Amino acid sequence: MAKIVILGAGISGHVAAAHLRRKLPKEHKVVVVSPNSNYQWIPSNIWVGIGRMKSEKILFPLAPLYKKKGIDFKQAKAISFFPEGDKTETKPYILSEYVVGDNKGKQEKVTYDYLINATGPKLNFEATEGLIPGENKTYSVCTYTHADHAWDGLKSLIHEMKQGKKAKILIGTGHAKSTCQGAAFEYILNVEQELRKHNVRDMAEVTWISNEFKLGDFGMDGMLLSYGGMTMKSHEMIEMIFEDRDIKWVLGAGVNKIEDGIAHYENLEGEYKTETYDFAMLIPAFSGHGFKAFDKNQNDITEKLFKGFMIVDADYTAKPYEEWSVKDWPETYQNPSYKNIFAPGIAFAPPHAISKPRKSKNGTDISPAPPRTGMPSGITAKLVADNIIDSIKNGKESLDHKGSLGNMGAACIASAGYGMTQGSGVSITTYPIVPDYEKYPKTQGRQLGKTFGEIGLAGHWLKLALHYAFIYKAKMRPFWWLIPE
Amino acid sequence: MTQRISKYQRFKMMNPVIQFFKFIYLSIKIMVVVAGGHGGTRTNN
Repeated sequence: MAKIVILGAGISGHVAAAHLRRKLPKEHKVVVVSPNSNYQWIPSNIWVGIGRMKSEKILFPLAPLYKKKGIDFKQAKAISFFPEGDKTETKPYILSEYVVGDNKGKQEKVTYDYLINATGPKLNFEATEGLIPGENKTYSVCTYTHADHAWDGLKSLIHEMKQGKKAKILIGTGHAKSTCQGAAFEYILNVEQELRKHNVRDMAEVTWISNEFKLGDFGMDGMLLSYGGMTMKSHEMIEMIFEDRDIKWVLGAGVNKIEDGIAHYENLEGEYKTETYDFAMLIPAFSGHGFKAFDKNQNDITEKLFKGFMIVDADYTAKPYEEWSVKDWPETYQNPSYKNIFAPGIAFAPPHAISKPRKSKNGTDISPAPPRTGMPSGITAKLVADNIIDSIKNGKESLDHKGSLGNMGAACIASAGYGMTQGSGVSITTYPIVPDYEKYPKTQGRQLGKTFGEIGLAGHWLKLALHYAFIYKAKMRPFWWLIPE
Repeated sequence: MTQRISKYQRFKMMNPVIQFFKFIYLSIKIMVVVAGGHGGTRTNN
């Protein structure tokens, strides 16, 4: 009998748990440890943040589903890792602490044979002074509760604009090293469309602020893509959309401090500037959770497991941008020191960024961290689950399933406005996610036919279809596994 | 100079009939890209 413990029940953790349970005989135990009671389909938070979707539509409680499917669920948070056990516990374990119910505050050693760390990122709002969701007129759409607050803030502002108030709206990244520009991009286009729907567009100045060097970088070093029979650079496409929507942009901006209605930032020229606003949605920096790890003698071995996020089979050798290779990226997401620990999705430490790193004239790093999206999170979680299943069934380590971000495609269906007839979406696919300059030297490291962009109503329908399909899949309804990650 | 979205392009982007066929086309094309397999990069896969 094998016991597989999964930390986290987001896209990655939930996908791993679902596949393990479906493919492993019942004698093997699948345990999910997560402080969250609900599963949430994060990509639809954008629509919650503009009041077009209720947060209840994007989430469901995990406990009843897991009970029905035979997955053990502990609503607890991981505190520290003991991959060798300790003096009293011979098996490796995770020290966890329950967060609700009668057991709240009680700690438990959760032993395992295999561990999947799918804890995702910590939303590191503290890294930017004053960036607190719901305060200083800044909001976030990173969780459904944040998105609910964002809509409350936006709704009040729209009401004031209807009374004649002129307003400034600022959307983008809230730290010099933030990632997830895609979410902010979706939100700014949706907000702009909502302003038009409420007939207050002419009362608002909408501005994009970002740590990208060029528009359309998205933390992926931009891309060359096919668009309507042309070959276009992603920055040209996004500029075209922003011009069309009358959205201004500030680039190369490392936001470092927020005051009530004022964003302070440093740009690549080394200038310290400010942008004022009446409503802002700024994506924070992401970081690891700060877990500690100990060996069986209680010695601190955190550096064997973590480098901010979890260390996996990547090449972490520090090297200049010009020497970065697609081969640096992990393939199996296995920790090299403890072979029964894996970190798919957002939990693994990337070897380096994807976008070219840039510093301001003052030496401040201002460039996007690598993006972390749902699709690769699901794919990497499934391949980790498949390797564990093979290892259990074969009785020896099996790592046949591989999935480097340098040999994997991804689709970004960015909503550009909600509505069955008036909605819009920007559909972008990219292959591979991490550019492979050896394979595709003339097309910025990507395969042109598989890297394309489309703008239009179909994009909105597609995003809506994915919303329903992936919630169906997450609820593990009949034949859910036929839907790809 | 930044390219602009022309009136004709906008018509095509928002026309439900054209976009219905675009929806089918995009669904298939995206499926080909993202479900078309993945692998390692360090050896021939």
